[in-house]
Amino acid sequence: MDIKDIMFSQAAIKEIEEIRAKYPTARAALLPALYVAQREFGWLSPEAYEAVSEILGVPKAIARGVGTFYAMYKNRPMGRNVVQLCTNVSCMILGAERLVDFLKNKYGLEPGGTTPDNRFSLVIMECIGACGTAPAMLINDDFYENLTEKYIDEILEKYR
Amino acid sequence: MITVNINGKEIKLEKAVTVLEAARSAGIKIPTLCWHEQLEKYGGCRLCLVEVEKMPRLQTACTLMVTDGMAVRTETEAIADVRRGILEFLLINHPLDCPYCDKAGECELQDLVEKYGPTTGRFKEKKRRVTENLQDPVIVRNMERCVMCTRCVRMCEGVQGASAIGVIDRGGHSHIEPFSGNRYNCEYCGNCVSVCPVGAIMSRLHRHSYRPWQVKENIETVCPYCAVGCTVIAQVRDDVIKRVVPRIGSPVNNGMLCSRGRFGYEFVGDPERLTSPMVRKNGVLEETTWEEAIGLVAKKLAEIKDRNGGDAIAGIASPRCTNEDNYVFQKFMRAVIGTNNIDSTARMGYAGAQAFIENIFGQGATGNIISGLSNSDTVLVAGGDPTTINPILGLQIRACSRKGGNVLTIGHVRGLRNFSPVELTPGGGRETALLERIVSELVSRKGLPGSNTILESRIKTVVDAAGAGKADVSEKDYPDFIGKLTASGTPAVVIGKDLLQSAGSGYKLFLLCAINYLINGRLYLLSDHANEQGMLDMGCAPDLLPGYRPVGYAEFRKRYENAWKTKISERPGLNIFEMIEAAGKGDLKAMYVMGENTVFNLPDGANVEASMRKLEFLVVQDLFLTETARLADVVLPALGWGEKDGTFTNMERRIQRVRKTVNRAGMEDWRIIAEISKNMSFGMNYAGSEAVFEEITKISPLHRDLTYDEIAAGNVIYPYKGEPLRGAVGEIPLNKPETASDGKITLGIDRVLFHSGTLSRKSPALVKMYSESVARMDPGTAGALSLKDGDMVRISSKSHSIELRLSVDGEVEPSVVLVPNIFEGKGALSLAGNILDPVLKAPAVCATEVTVESVGKVSS
Ligand code: SF4
Ligand code: SF4
Ligand code: SF4
Ligand code: FES
Ligand code: FES
Repeated sequence: MDIKDIMFSQAAIKEIEEIRAKYPTARAALLPALYVAQREFGWLSPEAYEAVSEILGVPKAIARGVGTFYAMYKNRPMGRNVVQLCTNVSCMILGAERLVDFLKNKYGLEPGGTTPDNRFSLVIMECIGACGTAPAMLINDDFYENLTEKYIDEILEKYR
Repeated sequence: MITVNINGKEIKLEKAVTVLEAARSAGIKIPTLCWHEQLEKYGGCRLCLVEVEKMPRLQTACTLMVTDGMAVRTETEAIADVRRGILEFLLINHPLDCPYCDKAGECELQDLVEKYGPTTGRFKEKKRRVTENLQDPVIVRNMERCVMCTRCVRMCEGVQGASAIGVIDRGGHSHIEPFSGNRYNCEYCGNCVSVCPVGAIMSRLHRHSYRPWQVKENIETVCPYCAVGCTVIAQVRDDVIKRVVPRIGSPVNNGMLCSRGRFGYEFVGDPERLTSPMVRKNGVLEETTWEEAIGLVAKKLAEIKDRNGGDAIAGIASPRCTNEDNYVFQKFMRAVIGTNNIDSTARMGYAGAQAFIENIFGQGATGNIISGLSNSDTVLVAGGDPTTINPILGLQIRACSRKGGNVLTIGHVRGLRNFSPVELTPGGGRETALLERIVSELVSRKGLPGSNTILESRIKTVVDAAGAGKADVSEKDYPDFIGKLTASGTPAVVIGKDLLQSAGSGYKLFLLCAINYLINGRLYLLSDHANEQGMLDMGCAPDLLPGYRPVGYAEFRKRYENAWKTKISERPGLNIFEMIEAAGKGDLKAMYVMGENTVFNLPDGANVEASMRKLEFLVVQDLFLTETARLADVVLPALGWGEKDGTFTNMERRIQRVRKTVNRAGMEDWRIIAEISKNMSFGMNYAGSEAVFEEITKISPLHRDLTYDEIAAGNVIYPYKGEPLRGAVGEIPLNKPETASDGKITLGIDRVLFHSGTLSRKSPALVKMYSESVARMDPGTAGALSLKDGDMVRISSKSHSIELRLSVDGEVEPSVVLVPNIFEGKGALSLAGNILDPVLKAPAVCATEVTVESVGKVSS
C-alpha cells in the first residue's frame, strides 16, 4: 500500500490533488498541500512529507526543505491548540515579553513547549503584521490583538 | 558579433554568454563559489561580483549576460573589499579546521580566503556546532564547513535526477541533508561529492589517508563496470588508487559517474587477489611457479588436441578483459588449438540481439552516441531499467525528460518514475501482445515507409495475425503513449537485457525493431559489461572472426590465415551453452576460461559445475578464486583493471584507452596466453598491448589504421561504413512464442545499481551500499502467499533453491520475484532454467517458474 493511503483519508488525498490541479507545476502546489497535511496531523512528520511528496510527485527531500524553511509549518508534534505569539519589535515594546512570562507561570507553557495535558503549544513568532494593534497572537487560525494578561485568560478558556 | 571589454581586453563573441563565460574564454579568472560548469546558473554566493560600466551596483558575473559594448572590471579595490566581506561572513560559522580537513589543498574556500582575506574575523558570538555525520558508509557530511552554495542539491536534483538531498531549515541553521537526516540511501553516485567546493560532503573511502597534492599521478582510464565506458581519472600514490574521479569534458560522461565507477575501485589491491599460479595436486590447488603452470597447460592442451582434436577444447572469453586480451585469446583458440569453440556470456542476450538487429539495420546499428539520447524528443525504454544497468546512459534519458522530451516505458521503470514516464505495463506474459498492438497501431497511423521490403513483409505478417491484441494494459494511457510515439521526430529505442532473457525474446526483439523502423528511431542496446562489445568485435564468437567476418566463408578466412600463418577451421564452434552440454556429455575434454565465472554467470550453476567437473582439464584465468576457479586444474592469476594497458570498446563503439594505474607483478591475460602459445610452438611475440592492437588494426576491418595515439583523444568511434560484414542480409526469423500466463510466479533478475557481480562484490564500498541480496515481490503476490516484508524465504526452481530475505515492494510487477545475481550462493541465475530462445539463442531466464515459501519462522 502506498504511504499516502496509509496517512491520508481519501478526502484529503482528493483535496491535495485538486490543489495540484490549480497550479502549473507540482512544486508550486507544495505550500498549500503541506498545509493540508499539517491540518490533518497537527505537524509535518517524515511520513506526512513522504505522503505529500507521493501525491504531488515532488521529491521528498525538496518537500522537507520547503517545510522546514517556513515558520508556519511545524516539524514537531504540537498540542491540540497552537499559540503563536509575536515578540518582534512593536509587540515587544508593548509588553509581549511579559506575556511570555505570564504563559509560562500561569499555564506552564514554555516557548517551543507543550503543556503536559497536550492542550497548548507555544511558538514564538516574528512580526505577524499587526504592529498597530500589538501585542498580537494567533491561536490555530484565529487572530487576537491588543493582548493583556486578562484578555489572554479569557481567550484561552475557549480552547480545550 | 558582440564585443565586450573585460579589464581592458577586447573580447569578441559569436553569441551572448555570461560575463563569467566571456572572461573565461579570454583566460580571465573571476572567483566563483556557487557557480559550476555542470550546473544551472544560480547567483547565490556573490563572489563573482564585478564592476560594469554604467551599472550602478556590482553585478554577478555568473548570471549577467554580456551585451555589445559592455565594459567590465573584475579586480578592483572595491571588488576585493566586497569579496573579503562575503568571505568574512562565510567564515563566521566555519570551523577553520583546515589542518584536519581532507579538502585542504583543493578547497575553493581556502583558496579564495588565501587570495582575498580576511586574515581575522570580527564575529564574537559562538560558532554553530554540528557534529560530523558518519552514519553513511561512503559519504561523510560535515555541515560546519558548508557554505550553502547549493551545488550539491542542484547536482543531485538537476543533473543526477535523484533529488535525494535538500536544504533543510533556514538562515544560520540551514544545512544539507538527505530526507532521512542520516543515511543517504540514495543512488550513491557521489556527484555531490565532486561538486562540493569545500569539505562539507566528502568520500569516506580515502578519509584522512592523503592530501590532494600528494597525488603523484592522475591517470585517465575507463571505468571497469559497464558498457557506457565512462572516462575516469585514477589518482594514485605509492601504487595505490586513492580516489577515482570523473573528467569534466569527457564526451561520454562529462564529469558524472555512478556509484560503481566512483566507489568501486577497491578490488584493485584486494587482499584476496590471486598472485601465484596454482595447480591441482592430489585434488588440492597448490601454489606453484609460472613455469610449471604454463608448461602444464601447454602440455595438457597439446596432448588433448593430439588425442581428441582441437574441437575437444573450448575457450570462454571475457567481457571484462581488454580488446587485446580477447583478441589474443581467440587467436590462440583458432590458430593454436585449431577450433572455433570460443564464446562468452554475451550469449546471454547481447550477442544474439546485436546480430539480429544488425541483420535488419546493418552493422553498427546500435552504435549510437549516448549523450544524443538527451536530445531525442522521445525515448522508448523496454526490457530493463537503464538507470541501474547503464547509469550514465540513464541520466541522459532523465535529461531528455527534463528538456521536455517524452519518456515512454514498457513496464514500470523505477529509475525513471520521477521523470513523467508514460508507462504501459502489460499483465504477466502479455508483453508480446502489447508490442504487437503498438506495431499494428503504428502501421495504421503512419503506414509503411517502404525502405526495407523484407522487414515490411514480416511486419505485415504480424499485423495480419495480431488482431486487436489483448494486451492487458490500462486503456487510459494507451492513446497518449501511441500518440507520442507516432508524433516523435527524433525517437530513440532503448533495449535492456530483461527483454532479451524473457520467453519469446527473439520475437519481442523483432517487434521492437519493427517499432524502431516505423518511427525511424535510433537503437541502444544496454550492456552491463565494460567490454562486451569489444570482446565480440575481437571475434570471441564461435562463428565470427575479428571484425565480424563469418568463419564459414573461405575468402574471409583466407585473410586471417595469411595474417596468422596457419589454417583456421571452417566449422563454426560451439556456443557457450553447447560447450557446457558437451562437457557434461564428456565430448568436450578441456576448457580454458579467461576472466569469467561461468558457474555463477550462466543459468543453472549446479549443472554448469557438474558438467565442468567432468572435464579432463580445466584452466581458469582470473583475479579471484571464483566459484569456477575452484574447479580448475590450473588457476592462472592475471593482471586486472587498473594494472594493465589496453583498450575497451563501449556500446557506442567508442574505442578507448584503458591504462595501467598501479604496478603489480604478473602478466596481462594476453601475455599469459602468448606464453602458453610459445610453449605450444606457436610464436606470439608482442612487445606490449600496443603491438597486439597494431595487429588488430591490420586484420579487423573495423579497426583499420587506428593507433593508440589516435584513440587517446577519446573520440574514436570505429570506422563504421554501414556495409554488412556478415552473411547475406535477408532472413529475419520470426518465432512467435506461446504466451503462458497462468499466474505462476516467475523469476526476474534484479539489476542492482551498486553491483555488477564479480568485481563489485570485492569492492567494500559497493558491498556496504548493498551488502545482502534481497528478493523483491509486489504486495499482492506476497500477500497471497502469506509472506511479509522482512521474512526469510526459500525460492526454488526445478534445479535449485536459495534462501533470501524478502522485501515487499509495490514497484515490482505482480507474479514475479526479483532476485539479484551478485553474491556467492545467492545468485538468481543459479535458479534459472536453460531454455534457449530459438532465434536469439539466449536463455529465457525470466521465464523460470519458481515457488516462494517462508522459512526460518517457527511454524505452528
Ligand atoms: S550521492 Fe548522488 S544521489 Fe546521493 S545525494 Fe549525492 S548526488 Fe544525490
Ligand atoms: S554541502 Fe558543499 S556543495 Fe552543498 S551547499 Fe554545502 S558547500 Fe555547497
Ligand atoms: S555508468 Fe557504467 S561506465 Fe559509467 S561509471 Fe557507471 S558503471 Fe562505470
Ligand atoms: S511586531 Fe508583533 S505584529 Fe509586528
Ligand atoms: S559564482 Fe556568481 S554568485 Fe556565486
